[in-house]
Amino acid sequence: MSAKEQVLENYSSRVYKNRKEHMVEVNNNDNNNMITANVRAVPGIMTHRGCCYAGCKGVVLGPIKDAVQIVHGPIGCSFYAWGTRRHKAKKVEDTDHYLQYCFSTDMQEADIVFGGEKKLKKAIEEAMDIFHPSTIFICSTCPVGLIGDDIHAVARWAETEYGIKCIAFSCEGYKGVSQSAGHHIANNQLMRFVIGEGDREPKSKFSVNILGEYNIGGDGWETERILKRIGYEVVSVFTGDSSIEDLKNAHKANLSIVQCHRSINYIAEMLETKYGVSWLKGNFVGVEATIKTLRDIAKFFNDPEMTARTEDVIADEINLIEDDMEYYKSKLKGKKAVLYVGGSRAHHYQLLLNDLGITTLLAGYEFGHRDEYEGREVIPTIKPDADSKNIESITVEPDQEKYHLYLPEEEVNRLKEENFLGYYGGMVKDMKDGTYMVDDLNHFETEEFIRLLKPDIFFSGIKDKFVAQKSGVLSRQLHSYDYSGPYAGFRGAVNFARDITMGIYTPAWGLTKAPWKTTPTLVGTLGGEA
Amino acid sequence: MEQTLVNLNVNPCKMCMPMGSVMALYGIKKCMSILHGSQGCSTYIRRHMATHYNEPVDIASSSLTEEGTVYGGEENLKKGLKNLINLYSPEVIGVSTTCLAETIGEDVPRIIDNFYEENPEYRNIPIISVPTAGYQGTQFEGFFKALFQVVKTIVRKSEKNHKVNIITGPISPGDTRYLKNLLEHFEIDYILLPDLSENLDSGYHKNYDRLPSKGASIEEIAMMGGARYTLELSTFTNKENSPAEYLYREYQIPYKKLNLPMSLRDIDALIKELKYLSGKNLSEEVSTQRERYLDAMIDSHKYNSVGRAVVFGEPDFVYGTVRLCAENGIVPILVATGSKCPELKEKLQEEVKQVAESAFVEQYEILDDVDFQIIEKYAKKWGANLLIGNSDARRIEENLHISLVRRSFPIHDRIGGQRLLTLGYEGTLTFLDEITNTLLAKTESSFRRALYEKYYKGEKIKYQSQNYLENRVFNKIKNRKHITNIQLKDRGKEGSNMLKMDTSTKNTIEQKTKTHPCFNSGASDYARVHLPVAPKCNISCNYCLRKYDCPNESRPGVTTEVLSPEEAYERYLEVDKQVPNISVVGIAGPGDALANFEETKKTLQLIKESNPDITFCISTNGLMLPVYANELVELGVSHVTVTMNAIDPTIGAQVYKYVEYMGVKYKGEQAASILMANQMAGIKLLTDKGIICKVNIVMLKGINEKHIPEVVKKVKELGGTITNIMQLIPVKGSAFQDLPLVSNKEIMDMRKTCGETMSQMYHCKQCRADAIGTLGNDRSIEFSSCKGKCGSKEEVIQELQTCHKSKLLRFAAATKSGMIVDQHFGQVSELYIYEYTNGSPVFKEKRNINKYCTGNEECGENDKISMIVNTISDCDGVIAMRIGEAPSKKLEEKGIRIFTTYDRIEDAVILAASEILK
Repeated sequence: MSAKEQVLENYSSRVYKNRKEHMVEVNNNDNNNMITANVRAVPGIMTHRGCCYAGCKGVVLGPIKDAVQIVHGPIGCSFYAWGTRRHKAKKVEDTDHYLQYCFSTDMQEADIVFGGEKKLKKAIEEAMDIFHPSTIFICSTCPVGLIGDDIHAVARWAETEYGIKCIAFSCEGYKGVSQSAGHHIANNQLMRFVIGEGDREPKSKFSVNILGEYNIGGDGWETERILKRIGYEVVSVFTGDSSIEDLKNAHKANLSIVQCHRSINYIAEMLETKYGVSWLKGNFVGVEATIKTLRDIAKFFNDPEMTARTEDVIADEINLIEDDMEYYKSKLKGKKAVLYVGGSRAHHYQLLLNDLGITTLLAGYEFGHRDEYEGREVIPTIKPDADSKNIESITVEPDQEKYHLYLPEEEVNRLKEENFLGYYGGMVKDMKDGTYMVDDLNHFETEEFIRLLKPDIFFSGIKDKFVAQKSGVLSRQLHSYDYSGPYAGFRGAVNFARDITMGIYTPAWGLTKAPWKTTPTLVGTLGGEA
Repeated sequence: MEQTLVNLNVNPCKMCMPMGSVMALYGIKKCMSILHGSQGCSTYIRRHMATHYNEPVDIASSSLTEEGTVYGGEENLKKGLKNLINLYSPEVIGVSTTCLAETIGEDVPRIIDNFYEENPEYRNIPIISVPTAGYQGTQFEGFFKALFQVVKTIVRKSEKNHKVNIITGPISPGDTRYLKNLLEHFEIDYILLPDLSENLDSGYHKNYDRLPSKGASIEEIAMMGGARYTLELSTFTNKENSPAEYLYREYQIPYKKLNLPMSLRDIDALIKELKYLSGKNLSEEVSTQRERYLDAMIDSHKYNSVGRAVVFGEPDFVYGTVRLCAENGIVPILVATGSKCPELKEKLQEEVKQVAESAFVEQYEILDDVDFQIIEKYAKKWGANLLIGNSDARRIEENLHISLVRRSFPIHDRIGGQRLLTLGYEGTLTFLDEITNTLLAKTESSFRRALYEKYYKGEKIKYQSQNYLENRVFNKIKNRKHITNIQLKDRGKEGSNMLKMDTSTKNTIEQKTKTHPCFNSGASDYARVHLPVAPKCNISCNYCLRKYDCPNESRPGVTTEVLSPEEAYERYLEVDKQVPNISVVGIAGPGDALANFEETKKTLQLIKESNPDITFCISTNGLMLPVYANELVELGVSHVTVTMNAIDPTIGAQVYKYVEYMGVKYKGEQAASILMANQMAGIKLLTDKGIICKVNIVMLKGINEKHIPEVVKKVKELGGTITNIMQLIPVKGSAFQDLPLVSNKEIMDMRKTCGETMSQMYHCKQCRADAIGTLGNDRSIEFSSCKGKCGSKEEVIQELQTCHKSKLLRFAAATKSGMIVDQHFGQVSELYIYEYTNGSPVFKEKRNINKYCTGNEECGENDKISMIVNTISDCDGVIAMRIGEAPSKKLEEKGIRIFTTYDRIEDAVILAASEILK
């Protein structure tokens, strides 16, 4: 019996039917790797998924450093999203910086009964008095949508009252089926109210946006460093270490590089439709992946000098890390890993693990959609369900004034047909036959798969980390990197290799058996026992 | 950021109710939790608990979606319960609600009934419903709500047994293990609810046990109804959430509530209770523990007495910690909880007051429902040197460099929070040791320097005059009791100041400017002392008349006495002890600091040796500046004020009578040219070396009023930092005594115009040459050694008391302190009315007036002045430190006499009366 079947065996028939569709034993020959994703989690079986609010406030908006982000709701949600995601940001002189803060309207019972708009307005007044921000975000939590507070009206009021930018995000936790809904809501509002407002002209025609890079552990900085070294101008990063001013100018770039496809593909698409900015899927996690991404970018810009410089930088960066990587590879080759993280990372990190000679046995996303597993080609076949229909989808038209193309339209179309631009192939094509893809891997399945697959290392987050470690398997957090990082780019690969080598070779693993248990115990029966 | 925010919580010091509920349920054997709401709640709570405990935390969710908000969440919850039972086989389940479920009005008990009805095979699994809307309370209330519901659901009327129910709030697994050991030590048969000892601090097992296998079993809990006694270790439970009270109401089980055993007194109370319940004598082991603990308290008291702590977190933890601090002499200057808990203040007020008073700490506060923004504000304002509570204060620790002793929940930036001890003689001792060591670490790294700079560096002077100085200071203190009090109190403060100082690196000029009250209007809390060591002057200004006889005038050029450098040093030491926040030592005459350079130099050297960080500031006419600029820089002078009224010799010639330079007396334009050339060269020399230069310009009607913008432009060119355009004080006997004054509006307009060129000073008080204290409160009279020597005044008073007995006179005095005439007439908002008869002045009342001098457009409005004059029309005289021209005219028209002085009010009234009665 395969590991998949053994795990499913524990379920009741209804749950069995449901969960079976979320597990795929990869077989790239028969091309039937269809998986069910982005549907409701089964109640009661500890999903590791977060909520809509987590995706909106926690993921996409959280890293924007110069907006006061007021969470409208009772205290808990605001507290829980306070400084927990390790998106780093630099303090820039003379600009607002609120990442250390946590703002909440701290709704009380009376506010639930009589409505909380008044309190929200007053909270904004107080925030204005003390902090004088130029931008305020309002994010709502569960009760707000139910009691009918019109946070969008409050946002409009604040804009006229104070002449600031104030954007409301209706990201109540119950919307959608995971964080993914929150990403979409954040994307929509940023597109509506932020992107396109700036008029800062890029200095270079080699100008790019990095989309879906939240600068966890400084990944964004390492990525920017490499791009700048080659000579690219980074117009905006969505949204790691970003400011509203940067985001406003995203439409001025000539290319968007999409790192996390799931959380930002709406903006990537809309930037292209409305402003003509092409996008390509990149990946700066893994040495080979980074090299490929850099060459793809050079291919798009199609400039001999930039192409040559790209190769020079690659050669130089490789030269600097080669010896380290060789050493770590010698320590890690042949190890096996299970990955369960995010909507992109479970794919990206497989490529870095490949660089180190580590095999991936199982990979799954918390909130990925089918396109992250199987590739964008399946999008037309995804049927919208009740939950996805509830999330607003906005359509944009080309902006006559601001629309600009770097490559001629025919060339863009040709590159799209080649699946070079505007395409993401998903994780499955990078996985070996016989390995598993499991969507929304829950607490129970985590335990079971670890027991059955016996990986050397389990990459996940803090919630499931300790289950693995209590089972004797090293676990590293890929959400927040356990204080470490960056893991992206060339230097990041070395950090990552060092961290897992350190983990796998931790002396404690060799001491788990007490000395009095090392000698075989004589097994026997007492009289009378069977 | 003064106001307390009521609608915006900035950096919360609390979490939500479901968090507490889930935590409490982790103390029950084979219990699983499910949250009824959207799945983010479970995920977030798991994430926070796992980070604190470094353990797997399993909380299921009914995963409500948008559809559930419309049709209700019953189906989801029932499905969730079923799946949970199938996969985990729990023996008991806790269903905690969330904001979402409570807002849509989910009836969880009914859903549970329906679930049993549809699935009778699960009837043997108790399902506990805990209503925990996130908006109804914090994790602390949620914790007890869960315990209450557990007791209510599980406990049955049972046969009397010999057990004792022990109820605890949120304590660490480490503390729970201690408590169990203690109970076992006393051989008490107990039921502990919740038993958090193992499930959230388990070992490495190789095979992960997915059900919490330890903790209080439901069988045990059911028996609580037959127990002989309940001990509840919480100070802040109430009727709605106290299991002990419930058990008493329902099953008549006697109970006692005890504080968490975190201080000697509270541990003693618990031990005494256990001794009684067990009927056993105290074992040697426990009494030895107490002895050891007490011995440690005594050993560490000397380090703890400098402690000024901010204690924050859940009410029970805060209460216990404050009592621990108090009995160890640490002053909890801020006691704060994020919960709504007004009882905290009631219960701790006396305790905190006592320890604060014994340490001469006047400012402390006990607050509930606060966020970390407020906590940070107080920690900073009142000079805390210790934070005690959870790791969410790490940002304050980083911002204010105040060490944080981490206890309670959550601890996210350190490992092992689940094993930290706070209870019992031994547990509290580890806590106390950490607190003491945190204070001690700071002392240890700084005391050498502190001592060296305070005593040893001043060695030379000490040998010469130590005894003399100490005796004089001592005698003065003996003679003035109120000052003794102040001094003792300040000594308490000194402790914390000392610690604060040590963390700061050597003051840069920039930092010095921040604490210089004259150069930074935001530094008004900082005080300065002007040392009158420079009597001679080398120029003669037409507006100046130097007097140094008696303290009844306050303006530049005036001092009570001239001091020698040694006396000045002594004055400085004394002032430093008695006036908090002395940041600046200035030499501002009464003559010119550089015309008395040797005295100035010596004074600064003496003070510099005892306090190298103090800011030195001198004020000069600038004539000798090019000669001494380099030496000033070497002496450590960082701020220099030059009075430069003109840069055009023809104008200057009208301002200066003569200039004495290199032994020759110059007059007229020649004098002005020399002076101005030297002023400008001197300023340039100083600013090139990074010295902060302020230029004072006296605005003289008809002389330099049109010329001032040019002067200001020049100052900017020379690198000056700020200019101060000032009013002329017409001094009787000076050449300009009758020069008409410019109006306040004209001055403000001029400052505004010049403000476009460079920074202007708006808060100048035109201080005396021996001013002491903050700009707003001159205390120089307190330090003057001239009191009693000024025979003339005493004689006058005596004479008055013998004659003119019958006449009644009324005076209006401008005062801020209520003791000394220390205010400009135009700047007071109220006047003190005194009546004088038979040689004795009596205070009658205060009269409110609107300040007429607001410095803006309204200034000089005649109506307003008339109004004020009317309010005091029944007075015979006005006594003020200074008074403007317009009001003096008005007053004189009304026949009200004006007396400008700087003196005790009573004495001023007597002197004024004598003038009138002459």
